[in-house]
Amino acid sequence: MADDIKDKVKTDVPTVTFTMDGQEVTVAKGTTILEAARSIGIHIPTFCWHPKLKPVGSCRMCYVEIEKWPKLAVSCVTEATDGMIVHTESDKVKRGRRATLEFLLLNHPLDCPTCDQGGECELQNLTFEHGIDDSRFDFQKNRFTSDTDNTVFDDKRIGPEIILNRNRCILCYRCVRANKEAFGEYDLGVYERGNIAEINAAPGQQVNSPFSGNLPEICPVGALTSVDWRYKMRVWLAGKTPSICPYSSSGSNILIYTDDNKNLIRRVTSRCNDDIDDGWLSDITRYGYQIANSEERLQTPLIKKEGKQVEATWDEALEVICNRFKEITEKKGKVCIGGLISPSLDNASLYCSSKLFRTVFNNNNIDFRTDYRMLPNKPDSYFGMLCNRSFRITDIDDSDVIVVLGSDLIREHHNEYLRIRKAVNFNNARVFSLNPYSVKSADVAQAEIVYNIGTDEIILVAIGLAAIEMGLVEQGLAQGFKEKVKLGSLAEATEVCGVSSDDVKLVARALAGDGKVSVIVGELITRSHGREAVASALFNLSRLLGIDKKGQMAVLARYANSRGAEKLGLLPIPTGAQVEMLKAMWGKFPDAEPQTTDAMLALMHKEEISGGLVLGGNPIMLYPDRQFITEGLEKLDFLVACDLFESETTELADVVLPMSSWAEYEGSYVNLEGCNQVACQAIKHIGQSKPAFEIIRLIAEKIGTSLFESDEQMATEIEQLLSCEPDNATPDNFVDVLPLSEEVDPDFPIPLCICDDPHHTGALTQKAPSLTNFTGEAYIEMSPDLAARLEVSEGQPVRVESPVGKIVMPVKVSKHIDNDVVIIPRNFSQIRVTSLLMRKKRVDRVRITKVDE
Amino acid sequence: MKEVIKAVGHVFIKMPQGLLVTLKHLFKKPVTLDYPRKKKPMMPRYRGRHYLERYDDGSERCVCCGLCAAACPADAIYMEPEEGEHGERRAKVYEINLLRCIFCGFCEEACPEEAIFLGQEYEFAADKRNSFLWTKEDMLVPHPRKDNPFKKIIRRVRKVYGVTEQ
Repeated sequence: MADDIKDKVKTDVPTVTFTMDGQEVTVAKGTTILEAARSIGIHIPTFCWHPKLKPVGSCRMCYVEIEKWPKLAVSCVTEATDGMIVHTESDKVKRGRRATLEFLLLNHPLDCPTCDQGGECELQNLTFEHGIDDSRFDFQKNRFTSDTDNTVFDDKRIGPEIILNRNRCILCYRCVRANKEAFGEYDLGVYERGNIAEINAAPGQQVNSPFSGNLPEICPVGALTSVDWRYKMRVWLAGKTPSICPYSSSGSNILIYTDDNKNLIRRVTSRCNDDIDDGWLSDITRYGYQIANSEERLQTPLIKKEGKQVEATWDEALEVICNRFKEITEKKGKVCIGGLISPSLDNASLYCSSKLFRTVFNNNNIDFRTDYRMLPNKPDSYFGMLCNRSFRITDIDDSDVIVVLGSDLIREHHNEYLRIRKAVNFNNARVFSLNPYSVKSADVAQAEIVYNIGTDEIILVAIGLAAIEMGLVEQGLAQGFKEKVKLGSLAEATEVCGVSSDDVKLVARALAGDGKVSVIVGELITRSHGREAVASALFNLSRLLGIDKKGQMAVLARYANSRGAEKLGLLPIPTGAQVEMLKAMWGKFPDAEPQTTDAMLALMHKEEISGGLVLGGNPIMLYPDRQFITEGLEKLDFLVACDLFESETTELADVVLPMSSWAEYEGSYVNLEGCNQVACQAIKHIGQSKPAFEIIRLIAEKIGTSLFESDEQMATEIEQLLSCEPDNATPDNFVDVLPLSEEVDPDFPIPLCICDDPHHTGALTQKAPSLTNFTGEAYIEMSPDLAARLEVSEGQPVRVESPVGKIVMPVKVSKHIDNDVVIIPRNFSQIRVTSLLMRKKRVDRVRITKVDE
Repeated sequence: MKEVIKAVGHVFIKMPQGLLVTLKHLFKKPVTLDYPRKKKPMMPRYRGRHYLERYDDGSERCVCCGLCAAACPADAIYMEPEEGEHGERRAKVYEINLLRCIFCGFCEEACPEEAIFLGQEYEFAADKRNSFLWTKEDMLVPHPRKDNPFKKIIRRVRKVYGVTEQ
């Protein structure tokens, strides 16, 4: 149905026909001359115009001549009309552009040699193209001097990673507009007017949004430059490699600039893919590459000898691994080895580890969901069904109603957050944010509903009940829905959730309308215990309101290759189709009991699993019960850990293998909509590190079986598995919603959410200096109200206690939070935040006390 | 008999004639120089070893923009920029491999900061390969200095490339 609407729109739009440079052009009515020119491949130079922003026409560079018009027209804001005759390269146009350039260069300093933009500067290129070699301006150039003494010229840091030079600015306002339109930030603005107008950060503020790295990239001159790229190298000397972001689940397309002499990555820029990232990168994507250059990287394999890890060669390490794994299997059987695999690895690595466990160790003890709690050990749950639904990022653009459930998008899905902003800006989409606490990314939402924590499924039920109460659904469906719900009326449900029924009715009315719908389920649901209840409630709601027919609903995959891991059968219990396919390819499939992360850890406690392989990631830091996982891994007879850095997990390992980062080998990644993208090799391997898939193949070969006859075989097998489309299955009828409620311990009253910091993701980004410039250490985020009750202010330390642990950390007061939920980022290893958590709890609750100094 | 007269003629006529040429040159000014005791002054357009200029206050003119390296047809220049203590851009590493350099002077032409000049010196002989790798410290002109021998060269370069005198 969605496609039908699109086609209708396309065919019904009135068109205009006009002539440009002798060519007949037909475009939709409302198209500007500039856009029409671009569509037929005519290049018109621009400064202020940017394909992703609304036009303002401030730079006057895009002049064209229109016959019978008295003056030159600014093509980026002039709509094409029928019968227009446009010239883009006439003498008059060239003279106009030349004059514009001359004006722009009046105050522009000639410091191209010191400017980082030199070589990729649009002003430089156009000046060269138009041959302006002399200035007629004899007076002193306007000069802004820096307020601080530690910089010469006008270079001024306006954010942790941005340097502003107001002299070079041509006032195109691209940065201010992008900040406002695309990112929803107001920390950059234009001050003063006329000749002394300047771009600057808002007084007393820093430009530090999670998208601030885009500003230097879209600046056409060198007014905004990034600290990261400052004076590193000349752009024409850098090698450029197309790649994929290893942090974002949507797989932002990036271009890696490398210094090939030194084998270092120098910077990352966008490789604008309209279907995926829309040309914007989050700072995590942009600066996260720094971990690959880090000097702390593991260089050689380490083997534990007498309690100490000592350096060893690959041969020695593989020998030890092979012998110990053989020993364990002889003693206890093959089921005794378990694997925790990072979902940020490429397809080949994931598939190889799956094949190693299933064909060589002959068991199903493999899982990639190391930060989920209480994963069920049974197949075909409703949550599994929800995960296996198709989702298209571009469909967000033309959605009319977007519902975000249990997710602060700015902390986990940056690209999707920007898409939603775009839908609001350009398509007047209505966004509803349903969260247990008031989130930052809800600033785009028409209504934000903050429900009591742990009642995620009941809020969905309440929406259904509201729709029934307002008579928006058929009687038969309403009957079916009500039967499966324990709560009788809307009032009852809203009371449990602690929300007003008017808000719920607003969402219900929007969802029941004809518009296209996107429902996004986030991490607060997927990682939690209540995911099954939420999935069943969502399927019921979808059946009731027909969400399925008029849009999409999905759980967004969280890591770079989570989706790929699901498709490659890395779950302990692959889907039926996958099992059939794997059986056909391998000739066998193990019938051992499948074990999820939780089950594996439990078996480690019982010493039934005594060999372990941790491939990438740092499960100890991310698993929501630190004590449980640490004890489990300590009890193992033999643990192999492969990672980029030494971590809590590698400390426990008997053999540590250095793994290559994503930039050091070619690998493919499946993004959250199932699109398989390739990241090319940008730099050579650091030290003796090897790609994860090679490590797995070497282990298998050492044990005595070769996983693949050739590289081609591996590629075809992966391709075959990835060709499986999501089945979009829904339950046949309304299903039982089983709400989970927990008793609140009065000693620990405050609910705690563990999230990513907006500038960090997972366990590795704390090694990137640029990202730690934004947020360097852990904090506990709370509402001003709670802070006042605790009598603490910003930056003061508090003691956070849960039944299982306690930690001390500084307070961060966030104005947007308005209830008692506190948030702690999980990305900093110096505080052991997961030691507060209990895996069996749905909602973690803590007690906070002020630390007296 | 004839041969005898011819031979005698050679000895008494041709040989003195030849010796006369030698004798003439004995009193002429010689074209060769008593190198290395004496050295030939080079023409102003001669391109010898490289110098990196300084501003009058002693700070380096070079901002490590990389244009000389880009212009170099022999790929003899390698540089790495860094941020100075006042936030200025300067060269952390600036190396010219004199074995690769063909002394074409393109670096001098390309330099927008008038930082690099080819001087008059032409003696680079050394017995180690490494000593042909000239670093920034080798090339920077001393500071403070009494006279500026590059004034003439700067004027010539400016004239050739049409830069107006400042």
